[in-house]
Amino acid sequence: MSGVSKLNPTTAGDNSTAAFDVERVRRDFPILSQEIYGKPLVFLDSGASAQKPRVVIDAVRECYETYYANVHRGAHYLSQRSTDAFEEARTTVAKFINAATEDEIVFTSSVTESINLVAATWGRKFLSEGDEVIITEMEHHANIVPWQMLAQEKGIVLKIVPITDKGEFRLEDFEPLLSDRTKLVAITECSNVLGTMVPVRQVIKLAHDKGVPVLLDGAQGIVHRGVDVQDLDVDFYAFTGHKLYGPSGVGVLYGKWDILNSMPPYQGGGDMIERVSFKGTTFKEPPHRFEAGTPPIAQVIGLGAAIKYVSELGMDRISAHEQGLVAYATERLKSIEGLKLYGEAADKAAIFSFVVNGTHPFDIAAILDRAGVAVRVGQHCAEPLMDRFGIEGTVRASFGLYNTRGDVDALVAAIEKAKGMLT
Amino acid sequence: MSLGMEKYNDFAEALEIIDDEDMRFEYIIDVGKRAKKDAFPTEWQVDENLMHGCMSRVWIVNEPKDGRHYFRGDSDAIIVKGLVTMMTESFSGLTSEELSELNVEQVHRLNLGALTTQRQVGMLAMLEHLKKLGLKNAS
Repeated sequence: MSGVSKLNPTTAGDNSTAAFDVERVRRDFPILSQEIYGKPLVFLDSGASAQKPRVVIDAVRECYETYYANVHRGAHYLSQRSTDAFEEARTTVAKFINAATEDEIVFTSSVTESINLVAATWGRKFLSEGDEVIITEMEHHANIVPWQMLAQEKGIVLKIVPITDKGEFRLEDFEPLLSDRTKLVAITECSNVLGTMVPVRQVIKLAHDKGVPVLLDGAQGIVHRGVDVQDLDVDFYAFTGHKLYGPSGVGVLYGKWDILNSMPPYQGGGDMIERVSFKGTTFKEPPHRFEAGTPPIAQVIGLGAAIKYVSELGMDRISAHEQGLVAYATERLKSIEGLKLYGEAADKAAIFSFVVNGTHPFDIAAILDRAGVAVRVGQHCAEPLMDRFGIEGTVRASFGLYNTRGDVDALVAAIEKAKGMLT
Repeated sequence: MSLGMEKYNDFAEALEIIDDEDMRFEYIIDVGKRAKKDAFPTEWQVDENLMHGCMSRVWIVNEPKDGRHYFRGDSDAIIVKGLVTMMTESFSGLTSEELSELNVEQVHRLNLGALTTQRQVGMLAMLEHLKKLGLKNAS
């Protein structure tokens, strides 16, 4: 492997002793200060996509205004500057998740693409008929459909870990599914609907004891808790920029270097090859082998800025702030008569799915919208989970680092108003 | 146009008089609640009557009578039920020719300022659906 350097451990959480000043943090997000229908915006849809701090917006703008050019191939000043900024962002990502080297960081367009990449390369090469992949009942479609496609193509078998009525993931439900045919455990770290945090450390230990690698869908998990991939010893970790306060259009696939290096290319094209001739083509080493074509340059640079931003705030402090909101919101929401909360695991992130007796989630969300409260409604790309609970959809309020107890109060007041109007 | 449009005018005028967006919203909810009392038969809530592409489920049926089209609709969401009811009541009683002449302007005159763009698009989709059902039954 070339160009490998040992990185310093992540600095996330260094500010854990200072108080988390949420009002000051909110001022970093220009979009939050506006009114919607004449009411202050209460943004509770960060689970779908988070808002961006000024430093991210500035980083993207600065790139386009002062040094933008294509990366990795230009014989000119701007291209070199863009390449430097782009690769610096890769190092920032690697440090943030404590990868052993920046060569373990593959830039993709999304978590969806990251998982599809693993399924299409590692999966196609190493899985065959009858091999088993374990997922859970609460996966996002992005971590179901790629494996189903592989099941259709190669005859692999999906094993589903059930969850409890409270939306809990239990190791005793997971462990029996590990068999001699298990070739991969591919599960969410944090449910995008229920907020349930999966005990991934124990999952990885159990899987590794049987020689089975683990892929984590960290789309929601990394936002609320951060991650240390070496400490977890996870084999693949997928996350996305836009939920982590960065730009949309950029995702990350972390993979242990030896595993990445054993995988064939994903897409063919420019920037992923060593030598192309009509007799044959040789491919670059990871991560470039998996980055065909012009990458999302400004978005990657923006993601680097977002990671620096949350690292300076400290993931521990962000997490502590959000856990305060979890406790408060749980108490307040449960006090609403007729409201049923889905997802009451002891360890959960600030994501709340609910329905209100005698009302349709769409109606609740529409009235919340009129009150300036932005939530998501529907199946949240988790149809099997909706089937599990026998419901058609929920209202989902998902919190980010900039949300406050006042936002919880506004949500509760708007739900009460909606109840009054609808029932 | 003929008799069906009286209902349409009632809705349009009511919504014009209300100058507050929240009140307009409540008016639509009230239309939905009122319509709920006149139960839509559950045997009509079947896939073949489903209008696809909506965030909530919407069923619409067309009953031609004496050369005119009569529509009834339902939704599991009350706001959408209100919108469906405004559409079906407004545009019932028209001939196939009158139905085919309906256009975007008629929907816009309902002055549904309280609705987001997404739902206004939904209303236009509903209009197209009514026309399609009517023309299918006329042929």
